Amino acid sequence: MIFLSRTLPLVIAFAFGMLGVIGYYVPHGDAQSLEREMALWMRIVFAFSYLLGLYSLLNLHWQRIRQRVAGWAYSLIAILSFAVMMVFVVYNDGLGPFTAQAEAGGYKWLFDNIQVSCASTMFSILAFFIASAAYRTFRARTPEAAVLLIAAVIVMLGRVPIGRELSDFFPIATDWLLNVPNLAAKRGILLGVSLGAIATSLRIIFGIERSYLGGGAE
Amino acid sequence: MMHKLLAIDRRIIFALVFLSVAGPLLAGISLPITPTNEVKAAYDQFEKLDAGDIVLVSFSYGASTQPEMLPMSRAMLRHAFRRDLKVVAICLWPEAPGLAQQVLEEMTAEFDLEYGVDYAFMGYKPGNFSVILNMGQDFHSAFPQDQWGAETGDLDLTRGLRSLRDFDLVLDLAAGDSIEFWWIPYGQEKYGFTFVAGCTAVMAPDLYPFLDSGQLGGLLGGLAGAAEYETLIDRRGSASTGMSAQSMAHLVIVVFVLMGNIAYFAVRRTSSEQRS
Amino acid sequence: MRAKNWLSALVLAWPLASAAENAEQGIDIPAAPGIGTLLADPLPPIEEQELGELLAHPEPPIKVQAFDTPNDDGGSITLTWPRNPQISENAMYQVAIADSPSGPFRVVAEVAATGNLMSEAPALFGRRADLENHHYVNVEEFAAAGGKTPLEDGKTYYFHIDVRSAGGAIRGKVIVNAESKGNFFNNSKINNLVLCLVFSGLIMGYIGIARRRELKIRRIAGLEALDEALGRATEMGKPVLFIHGLRGMDAISTIAAVNILGRVARRTAEYDTALRVVAPDPVVLSVSQETMKASYVEAGRPDAFNPDHVFIAGTDQFSYAAAVEGIMIRDRPAAHIMMGYFYAESLLLAETGSTTGAIQIAGTDAFTQLPFFVTTCDYTLLGEELYAASAYLSGEPRMLGSLKGQDGGKAILLAVLVLGTLLETFLGWSQLTHFFTP
Repeated sequence: MIFLSRTLPLVIAFAFGMLGVIGYYVPHGDAQSLEREMALWMRIVFAFSYLLGLYSLLNLHWQRIRQRVAGWAYSLIAILSFAVMMVFVVYNDGLGPFTAQAEAGGYKWLFDNIQVSCASTMFSILAFFIASAAYRTFRARTPEAAVLLIAAVIVMLGRVPIGRELSDFFPIATDWLLNVPNLAAKRGILLGVSLGAIATSLRIIFGIERSYLGGGAE
Repeated sequence: MMHKLLAIDRRIIFALVFLSVAGPLLAGISLPITPTNEVKAAYDQFEKLDAGDIVLVSFSYGASTQPEMLPMSRAMLRHAFRRDLKVVAICLWPEAPGLAQQVLEEMTAEFDLEYGVDYAFMGYKPGNFSVILNMGQDFHSAFPQDQWGAETGDLDLTRGLRSLRDFDLVLDLAAGDSIEFWWIPYGQEKYGFTFVAGCTAVMAPDLYPFLDSGQLGGLLGGLAGAAEYETLIDRRGSASTGMSAQSMAHLVIVVFVLMGNIAYFAVRRTSSEQRS
Repeated sequence: MRAKNWLSALVLAWPLASAAENAEQGIDIPAAPGIGTLLADPLPPIEEQELGELLAHPEPPIKVQAFDTPNDDGGSITLTWPRNPQISENAMYQVAIADSPSGPFRVVAEVAATGNLMSEAPALFGRRADLENHHYVNVEEFAAAGGKTPLEDGKTYYFHIDVRSAGGAIRGKVIVNAESKGNFFNNSKINNLVLCLVFSGLIMGYIGIARRRELKIRRIAGLEALDEALGRATEMGKPVLFIHGLRGMDAISTIAAVNILGRVARRTAEYDTALRVVAPDPVVLSVSQETMKASYVEAGRPDAFNPDHVFIAGTDQFSYAAAVEGIMIRDRPAAHIMMGYFYAESLLLAETGSTTGAIQIAGTDAFTQLPFFVTTCDYTLLGEELYAASAYLSGEPRMLGSLKGQDGGKAILLAVLVLGTLLETFLGWSQLTHFFTP
């Protein structure tokens, strides 16, 4: 049991980790076809993981409906929405489930008119939240916060045409802020993140980091 | 008074933001737009190509970001087709095919394009970066069929494509991690093609280092980037119209931030005076 | 490696060709005016304008070299030849290919008289100063009767380079040949390999040191606050909500988040506090379930573990955000712990969370989302602090060692950055920069 749940995954992680490294440095056709196979398998595994997600989502909402927990009606809507969408996908505008998706039909209509509208609405709420959060929290409490505040005002005005109308200073200063201090900070973080990635990859390849198997670091 | 201002109801802020966006849109106000260097660089990459060159366009955004991403998709594809470039479209996000189809249909109507010759639509493939790795090795293996079930080898445009190296330009239109975490490490860095990207405004500052390193040949950030591109191709669209609303919204937020700070300092001063 | 390839190029003298030979070989090169020594055909009359072209020395190159393109998986041959500084700017070099020295030759590439300089491809040829005096071209396929045909590895191909100008084309005098093959190492990545080995060595070295003696790392306020948040949830009798970021298990930030989850789950098991975990990705869900289960077993409370407390709230960005916001509003957890890589949903989650009055602790390496978390959460783990969390919470020597190794790597990079900037600024010496680029 321990062999299947621990040893074998660690051996697989080591072997495929090393193959990934070799594939990066060796351009030979054999190494590349091995990498191609790996990429293909990754895609297959990735596709199967959707089934796992689907099960979890439906199970969660089914349990909520069964136990009549607060807001169970939303869970019912979620399952019904899934069922309606699924029916139209399978029906496929009369072509059936075993051909490529039709260019038009109920699925396309639902996607264009419900999914797109709902998702866009969620995204647009950000504008309201940003305004509210900025008003409540963006205070020049310290000299550093004051610098941040001034930079934010300049960038907000410099990124839109009205800034240029007010003064040429805004777009010029925005360019400088984005290309100098912003870039410096991003590079610093990127270097740290990359080193962190190297360290974590090494820990995974050599079996030191095992949290991805579930059950903590050890 | 200042205390009240500090504790202003969130709904008042929301209402003012709503008015600042809706007002300019309804009034149809338009403002002059000046392209930035990164958008000009993206435009120049298209200008460098010759008629008949093939561009791979990856749609990596979903329905939520469509209002921000659609105008730039439209402007860049319009530029490509105007220059007689061939376009192969793929989707790396499950939600993207419907959105890509919409913009491709618009372009087909506008430019009288022939499917399979002027453009091809390969649809969605799951696997994120592994699809890019797969395309780098063998395009036909990654996309054996197009979105409508036709064999990739049967389409004039895709028949001769062997790998990512066969594309003269790759464009990723993204609302997630596909530019920084998929296309640059697994595509551009490995296969060395010219890479241009369009992304949501909030992602853009994250991508500036890649412009500097040359891994990104140009970048469009959000609606502002799309509006600048519309200016460059001399065809104003929804992005240019939206910039007046965005300008006003930014102005309102700046005013709120300044008001909040004035109230904060006034309250702090009063409190310290009372203490002393 | 490259020297071997260059040596493998075989240069053959090309016999002076006649127009009749050209026709026999299927070569479609019009007779060039004025170069009587090369072509025996009667010369067409020379226009005044063409005379100018001829005076600009449009001779085909003689020192042509062909070799297998280095650093690739085969199917490509590279040709190089010296630049002729006196050639007309309008002239073009035409590269022709055949599978036997007697032809038929087909044109496979055209190179402008001022284009395709070897200095423009440092990944292929390096950065020697004299490279700007040579042209190059990579040949991967040629047009045959049945369409484009890729080069076959191990097969010998023959090339000659002609010059075409306004006055016509002049056939190249030399024929070169080469075979393509797949290479076993990409030389342009040597610097990458060296850096990789240095950083790996540092990290493994520090792990070794950590096994022998205790290493200390600085206090991370956000992680110290975890216990405070869990304690508060216990006192209030309310659940703790752990929110994963949007990236999958391949992201370092997600691995770090799972490590933190393990620690949080152990504490909630000990305190008998409810823990809900939301994930946007099925693999993250599965790993989180296993981690939580192991933590509950370690805490001696396997009975308290319920796999349904870890669930997918939505796989789409804003469906996920909407679902999590709903949970925040309905269940009113006492603490929200947001760990991983977040996008635009960060502010939606954190702002909604802040209105419920819960303690909020966030950790992300998403640079653009940090300001949103900093303004709306009580504690925020910034960038690498998230990665350090695994080591910090576990206190395990090997993890601490790898953290120190990262610091060592960072110190080297900082030193190189400072040194490189000084050298480039004051001496104009850019070789250090080139060491870090392909």
